[in-house]
Amino acid sequence: MSDTQRPIYLDYAATTPVDERVARCMIDCLGPGGCFANPASSSHALGREARSRVEAARREVAAVLGALAPEIIWTSGATESNNLAIKGAARFHADRGRHIVTCRTEHKAVLDTCRQLEKEGWQVTYVSPGAGGIVGVAEIEPALRPDTVLVSVMFVNNEIGTINDVAPIGELCRARGVLFHVDAAQAVGKLRVNVDEICADLLSVSAHKVYGPKGAGALYLRGSPKSRLEPLIHGGGHEWGMRSGTLATHQIVGMGEALRIAALEQPAEAQRLAVFRQRLWDGIASLGGVHLNGDVERRVAGILNVSFEGVEGESLLFALRELAVSSGSACTSASREASYVLRALGREDQLAQSSLRFSLGRFSTTEDVDRAIVLVRTQVDRLRAISPRDSEAQKEAM
Amino acid sequence: MNAREEMLDYSSEVRQRFEHLPRHGRVFGEPSERVTGTAGSVEHGVRVEFEARIRHGRIVECRFRAYGCPHVIAAASWVAEHAEGRAAGDTDWLDPRRIAALLDAPAHKLGSLLVVEDAFRACMAGRREA
Repeated sequence: MSDTQRPIYLDYAATTPVDERVARCMIDCLGPGGCFANPASSSHALGREARSRVEAARREVAAVLGALAPEIIWTSGATESNNLAIKGAARFHADRGRHIVTCRTEHKAVLDTCRQLEKEGWQVTYVSPGAGGIVGVAEIEPALRPDTVLVSVMFVNNEIGTINDVAPIGELCRARGVLFHVDAAQAVGKLRVNVDEICADLLSVSAHKVYGPKGAGALYLRGSPKSRLEPLIHGGGHEWGMRSGTLATHQIVGMGEALRIAALEQPAEAQRLAVFRQRLWDGIASLGGVHLNGDVERRVAGILNVSFEGVEGESLLFALRELAVSSGSACTSASREASYVLRALGREDQLAQSSLRFSLGRFSTTEDVDRAIVLVRTQVDRLRAISPRDSEAQKEAM
Repeated sequence: MNAREEMLDYSSEVRQRFEHLPRHGRVFGEPSERVTGTAGSVEHGVRVEFEARIRHGRIVECRFRAYGCPHVIAAASWVAEHAEGRAAGDTDWLDPRRIAALLDAPAHKLGSLLVVEDAFRACMAGRREA
């Protein structure tokens, strides 16, 4: 392809385009005639109008999660939500204990936050996932200690799309009096997410994963505003003192609308994407030497993560530049670091390094999928053919 | 530039060689004229193989096969191309730093380019006078 040609977008798990319906709501809030006033300016009608839009969005997000509106705290995205949930809860409840449990396959926003707390004196247990990359009670329970204050487990893994057993973990945590945080950035819009059904005390959500704007997110905090977190950002006392800063009305309104649409359309979209994912897998798997990463059954519809035998990851990604996909390799250092998630699943380095994550979404088409199949088959065959490994096999066969 | 952009930001030389693979393949002909050398491993992310046909002490044909990133493939292609016509014992011209500069390869790729050099030297070390 020419370098100016627009790639086929198959990276919806990384981010999504803003849905036009969402964009229209956001645009309504911008400009001199829009709902631009500071939502904290209760002294005039424009401020109160902005506040009413913010609160309507809060109710939308709460409704999608099965929560109460005051339990939703606006943030800049899931990374901030994860930071606020983990650091905020750990620091606020430090007198109860300084031990946290999480999993090796969590997003870096959780892992790096836990690493920071370790530097501050907390102890963190990083459990390995179970079969197929699923994290459940069997993995979490043995790690709990009397001084455990928080367990953090993602609902859906961002790399492989597997669905963790969060409801039983939530029940376990509640029985033990341990706070349970769920990073649901990859779950909302793909699955039904209800904070009561999974016994979540804290739950992180992002707007841009569900066709909303980047820079907007939310943290669910059970019982808020009576429940407390140690804030990360001070100044102004917004969001019940737990997240100061002028609220971005247009972003928040966009997030509310995005989640409303996502929840409404989720069942139909999941069915459509499951068909696409199966078509993509069938088309690629028949190449041979292709491995599906993660549990076969317990996964969200739109994510397919595969590894290719005999193909180097960076070359594969470059050869497939007509596709916008994510790679399991981070070949930007001498260490040739492979995906830590796939390595935690026990994949050998070569397969972890040659993995691709295809993530399908609202605007994916059958033509996109079919084109991706043709490109992957062509380029994997080509790279295998120039590899000496392939040649050796040929020699042995002769 | 973020890591991913840097990862796929290849020079036109690398792009051309990766696309068209000049000097890729195998050498055919009299077994007595053919030499082969390999270096690296798939497990470590780089494996390169050179095959050359040597006649009267000169490399008359050289081909490569490679498992590696686009810089490795381009470097192997460049080496195979520039080896042809040279005296079989002469490897002084082979300088991975010069190849890295020519391909505009980032510093962390030098280790991979050394594997290309090792594979070519192994090929020449196995030469037989025809």
